[in-house]
Order: sequence, then C-alpha cells, then structure tokens
Amino acid sequence: MSLTAAKEWPLIAFTLLSQIAVGAFWTLAAAHLFSREARVRGENEFLALPGLVIVAALLVAAAALSFFHLGRPKRAVFVLANLRRSWLSREILFELAFLALVVLLAFLSRRGAEPTALIEGTYILASLLGALFLFSMSRLYMLRTVPAWRGLYTPLSFFLSALLLGPLAAAAGQERLFAFPERADAFQDVAGISALAAVALIVLMTLLFTPRIGFLGTKTATLLEFPAQRIYPLLVFRLLFLAAAVLFIALYHDVERGGLMRLAFVSAGAAEVLGRYLFYAVYSRIGV
Amino acid sequence: MKQQTWVRQYAFHFDSSACTGCKACQVACKDKHDLPVDILWRRVYEVTGGTWKKEGGVWVPAVLSYYLSMACHHCQKPICGEACPTQAIYKRDDGIVMLETLACIGCRYCEWACPYGAIQFDPAGRVVTKCHFCYDYLALGEPPACVAACPMRALDFGDLSELSKKYAGTREIFPLPEASLTEPALIIKPHRDAARASKDTAEVANWEEI
Repeated sequence: MSLTAAKEWPLIAFTLLSQIAVGAFWTLAAAHLFSREARVRGENEFLALPGLVIVAALLVAAAALSFFHLGRPKRAVFVLANLRRSWLSREILFELAFLALVVLLAFLSRRGAEPTALIEGTYILASLLGALFLFSMSRLYMLRTVPAWRGLYTPLSFFLSALLLGPLAAAAGQERLFAFPERADAFQDVAGISALAAVALIVLMTLLFTPRIGFLGTKTATLLEFPAQRIYPLLVFRLLFLAAAVLFIALYHDVERGGLMRLAFVSAGAAEVLGRYLFYAVYSRIGV
Repeated sequence: MKQQTWVRQYAFHFDSSACTGCKACQVACKDKHDLPVDILWRRVYEVTGGTWKKEGGVWVPAVLSYYLSMACHHCQKPICGEACPTQAIYKRDDGIVMLETLACIGCRYCEWACPYGAIQFDPAGRVVTKCHFCYDYLALGEPPACVAACPMRALDFGDLSELSKKYAGTREIFPLPEASLTEPALIIKPHRDAARASKDTAEVANWEEI
C-alpha cells in the first residue's frame, strides 16, 4: 500500500504544467481585455497567436504526461464517465473545454480578425473554464479521508502556482514567443503580480502547510516511507527558491534585462516543483 | 449462514475479542481469489501498545494487544466510488461494492480515498482490486471464504439490519476512522483492550505484511 511522492512525478508535471498554462492564458487574456492600446490595433489577435499556441501545447503536454500516472492509459476515454460524482471526471471535462477554447482563439487569431465580441467573449469564457479546471483539480484531492489535503491549502496553492508561474512564463517569453512584442514592458506589471503571489505562497506555506507536518506523527504505513526529517530541508530549499524569484523580479526594471525574468521563472518553477513534491509526500489518510 | 433471501446491505461482523490473529481468513481469501503476492483483500492488523506503569513501588506491565480482521466494508457511502472517474466502482442492490476491472484505468484515486486500505493495486494487471464479498459463493448459498475459514467463528456476515439485531458492537475502534465518513457495513465486538488504545498509546505493529 505504498504511495510515495517519488511515484507521482507524472502528476507533479501534469498539475504544474496545467497551472502554468492557465496562468499564462489569464495573462494573455488580461493583456487583451484590459490593454486599451493593444485592443485598438488590428493585428492584436495575430500577435496573440504564439502565446495561445504555447498555452495549448502546454495543456497537451500536461495531459500526455498524466497518462504515465495511469495503469491503463488506453482506457482513459472512460475518464468522463462519472461527471455526477467524481471531481477527476470534471477536471478532465474542464481541461478539454478550456483547451478547445484556446485552440478556437488561436484559430480566430490566425485569421487576423479584428477584435470582436466573439473573441472577447471567448477570452472571458476560456478564463472562467481555466479557473474551473484548476478548482476541480484541487477538489479531487480534498478527500474527507485525507486531512493533509482537505484544507484550504490545496486550492489556494494550486491557484497561486498559476498566478506565480503563468505570468512569469508570459513575461519570460515575451520577447520571442508571446504576444505584443512592441509592448514587452507591459508584462512588468504582471510580473509584479507574480512577485506578490510568491510572497503569498511563502506566507501560506508557513501558516498552513508547515503545521500539517505535525500530521506525520500519525502511525500510518504511508508515512513510514517519508519521515518528517526529510521534509524540512525541502521546505527550506523551496523558501530559498521563492525568495530568489522575488529578488529577480525586484531587480527587473526594463525589457533590456529580460534575462532576470527568465531566472525568476526558473527559480519559481523549482520552488513549485519542490512544493508539489511535498504536497504528495505528506499524503496520509485517516484509518488504515 | 445461508444466503439471505432478501438483503438490502450485506455486512460483516467481526469479534475482536475472539480473534487469535491466526490469519486463516486472510489466507482463505487469498487462496479463493488466487491473489498475487502483496495483495490482500482481507488483512489482519496487529494492534499493540502500552508501557510499564508504576503501581505503588512496583513497575507493572500495562500493555495491550488485539487483532482486527478487515476487508472491504462495502460502505453505505463508498468514498472509493465517489473518487472513481470511470464508475468502475459501483454498489449493487444488495449493498456489495463492486469493482469492474475492465473499466478501471489504474489512476488509484480510490486507493488514496479508502480509509480502510481495502483498495489494492495489482502491479501486474495495472488496475486496482478489492473484496467483492464472495458474491459468487453467496449466489450458491455459501458464506464468504473468510467467514467460512475462521476457526474461532470471529467472523459472520448477513444483512446489516439483521446483524445489528444479532450483535451489539461498534464501527469505530482504534485505528479505524469515524464511521460517519463512509458508513461502513461493519459491526465489531471490541477486544477488552480496545478502549485503552489510541494513536498515542497503540500502533499497528505489522505494516510490513499488510
């Protein structure tokens, strides 16, 4: 009955890549919907295309990696069969719907269409579906028999990962890959959001996550494989990576120093990989 | 112990005060279902604890030890079925929680969720497996293999309402979870030591064999 975090790399990859994709899409959507300068330009949608393609590619890659978590991946088509009760079924439904709308937007952008109510509405709807995707992703872990995952930490950390890594990915790739190359500095603001999210993650982790390590005192078989002594060094490394990400963002002043944003993304990414690893490591259910 | 003529909810009764920990139930189940190594649809937990206690000027042993024979409890609110995305886990009209292995994708979320360790992953088949109450034996009017094998008659089965009339008992003794989480179809006659056991004073001593 061993379920160790070391076996959950496919899920670590799936959840984090999905959260990067949703966060990056929210950034693109915010840039589209709230940037007046960009909206008046006819080429706006065309310029958004690379970002949308990358978001779609991230979602497909995340889904493909999640198959390694399944014992019988060829049967994955059955996964939508329990929408009435299973949050996993709902998660996949929302992921597919989100991906479909991202692809639709990419198609609309490819045609170089003028900004229309259809495109704006699709951005808004896709943003909501992305949120539902992340919400259902967190709900499926919030089992009433698994106290370590039951709390607010799970949804908050999933959404904060998206808010931390998504905008940083958009900002880090702004010059070559993402939309609005002439307005690369517009992403400075979203990087600021990422820094705030990173700080929030640190506080959250300290307040909510660390006390849950106390649950490791329970004498269940699953925890024998991952004693508390192994958790604290990983927590310290995660804090250091988050602090480094905040530092790199703080040092970023203009687009000429875009390398700092990429460093911030890498640091934040390392922090979140550690955080997600710890998330699975502290799994311990009530009972036997 | 003939098959019930009409059953709303099949359930097990376990007499912890009678169990000697011989594991005949575990072996009978494994034999009947030809289960591979590392898969146990019925498991016998050895709960031990306690320490020395000073009484007057003398130190005396205040230890405890008892056994729990646990399978799937065919819960009335099976959380495994809630977690399963493919509806591979479902409840029959007679309350037995069944697993359709051909529909299982091996995601193991049910295994995460079940607080009784009833869901067992089969690495060879790459799907989960679980106790199905020997429904094939029930159809023949025979008891489940584990019940039939117990030399102490510590195990019994039947309709939950009938068992409740027959036996007084509980569904919550250490280290089992609150029954309200899943409403297990289970009645336990506790061992006399069970009242003294808690996570602070007792532990499962045989994790490596479960």
